[in-house]
Amino acid sequence: MDFETTLTRLRGRIDPVLRCGGGLLWAFPLAGCSGVQSALDPAGGDAWDLYWLTIVMTVGATLIFVFVTALLLYAVFAPPERRAWLGTRRTIVYGGLAFPIVTLSLLLPYGLIVMRDVDAPQPGALQIEVIGEQYWWRVRYPAEGEQAEFSTANELVIPIGRPITVSVTAADVIHSFWIPNFGGKIDMIPGRINRFNFTAERPGIYRGICAEFCGAQHARMAFDVMALEPAEFDAWRRTQAQPAPEPAIPFLARGRDLFRSGGCGSCHVVRGTEANGQLGPDLTHVGSRRTIGAGQFPNNVGTLAGWIANVQQIKPGAKMPSYGSLTGEDLRAIAGYLESLK
Amino acid sequence: MTGRRTAQVLLALGGMFAWAVQFALIYGATSTLCGRGWADATLLAIGVVPFAILSTTLVTLVAAAILLIVSFREERRWRDQPSSTADAFLSQTGVLINGLSLIAILWNGVPAFILPACA
Ligand code: HEC
Ligand SMILES: [Cu+2]
Repeated sequence: MDFETTLTRLRGRIDPVLRCGGGLLWAFPLAGCSGVQSALDPAGGDAWDLYWLTIVMTVGATLIFVFVTALLLYAVFAPPERRAWLGTRRTIVYGGLAFPIVTLSLLLPYGLIVMRDVDAPQPGALQIEVIGEQYWWRVRYPAEGEQAEFSTANELVIPIGRPITVSVTAADVIHSFWIPNFGGKIDMIPGRINRFNFTAERPGIYRGICAEFCGAQHARMAFDVMALEPAEFDAWRRTQAQPAPEPAIPFLARGRDLFRSGGCGSCHVVRGTEANGQLGPDLTHVGSRRTIGAGQFPNNVGTLAGWIANVQQIKPGAKMPSYGSLTGEDLRAIAGYLESLK
Repeated sequence: MTGRRTAQVLLALGGMFAWAVQFALIYGATSTLCGRGWADATLLAIGVVPFAILSTTLVTLVAAAILLIVSFREERRWRDQPSSTADAFLSQTGVLINGLSLIAILWNGVPAFILPACA
């Protein structure tokens, strides 16, 4: 990479930051900060509360900083007779005592009220369980009424307008569950269950990440969040609870047989087949996911095949071996089979 | 002479002691009561946890207020006779420290009105 491209790239990175920063400073609509993984683009009530707390603190602190700096310069450079008032008892009592006391007395209840309202449990919330594992997310939807329980991985699908409670824990080391558009981080601690409560207000695709260093592939541990209209969500949930469909054509049946003979089933569940391993993600409907590898690639036959043949190059240290010795034909069959598991 | 200095220093630092006592008591009471599962128990129609926090806050607040009033008196006394800088300094310090302690004690009590106990 030559110097020019480095510079262009750097500018590409800095520009949005500057635009966000400018927006923050003036509290303009943050067009430059919208995104699937941005705390500056809130998509739920709690996230809005946190957003405004951030704006109030940032703008307030900036104003005070500029004002105090100006006074400091004035104290240094103004002629002695004009700056004398700065040293009077009155200035000190009002500026140095009364002002900070009043400001902090307002900020304290404001911060506490945000703390109380954000992440408050709601009755009738949809329960979801997420377990952090090196380096992916096990996601379980417990049974609810008619709806049977089921598991999936690396994606959180939620209805908008309904309160959600995500109970989180970890299987190995401490992870942290964070969907910036919906609120704060919550630690995932082995042997302990923490809860995160929120309500999604607008449909869309968002991105969550692991926010606590958990090992070499920590940075490749993300997940998709799909906020759907309630009817769409119900349809999704009904499909997910179904067992995997039978392969429609012989080529896919060959993929299923290779999946069985390759030992994939010792780590992966495909409901409706004898594959019932618990070590890795549930693959019953892996074809319906938007991404694979904990948010690493778009989901299609090509990336699935690449993943199976090359996991250890893509995510060194992940707890799945590379299947580099499969022939191209076999690889395509397995990948095709997985892709057909909608 | 030494006795008077000791009293002056104690007066100047008194607010801090009141604040420290409040701090230790409200943290201790909250974790003990919550740890023993008394989150929902009530006393005189309010929860035991807020009750513990509010009564501790009230008592220490009164203590700090009395100390502040005494410090103000002292300060005025030494302002009128500018013979000793040490006396003037100690009395001014007393007003500041006791005043700030009073505010700190108030701030420490605020969460009891806003946050649910043992959440
Ligand atoms: C030793 C256990 C193990 C075996 C055997 C195994 N896997 Fe995996 N697999 C995992 C783990 C663990 C992950 C999660 C890796 C990560 O993202 O950190 C995974 C992830 C995957 C994913 C991505 C899932 C998603 O939603 O992101 C696919 C697809 C997959 N495996 C397919 C296969 C296939 C096909 C085989 C057999 C050829 C296989 N696996 C064999 C453990 C295993
Ligand atoms: Cu992690």
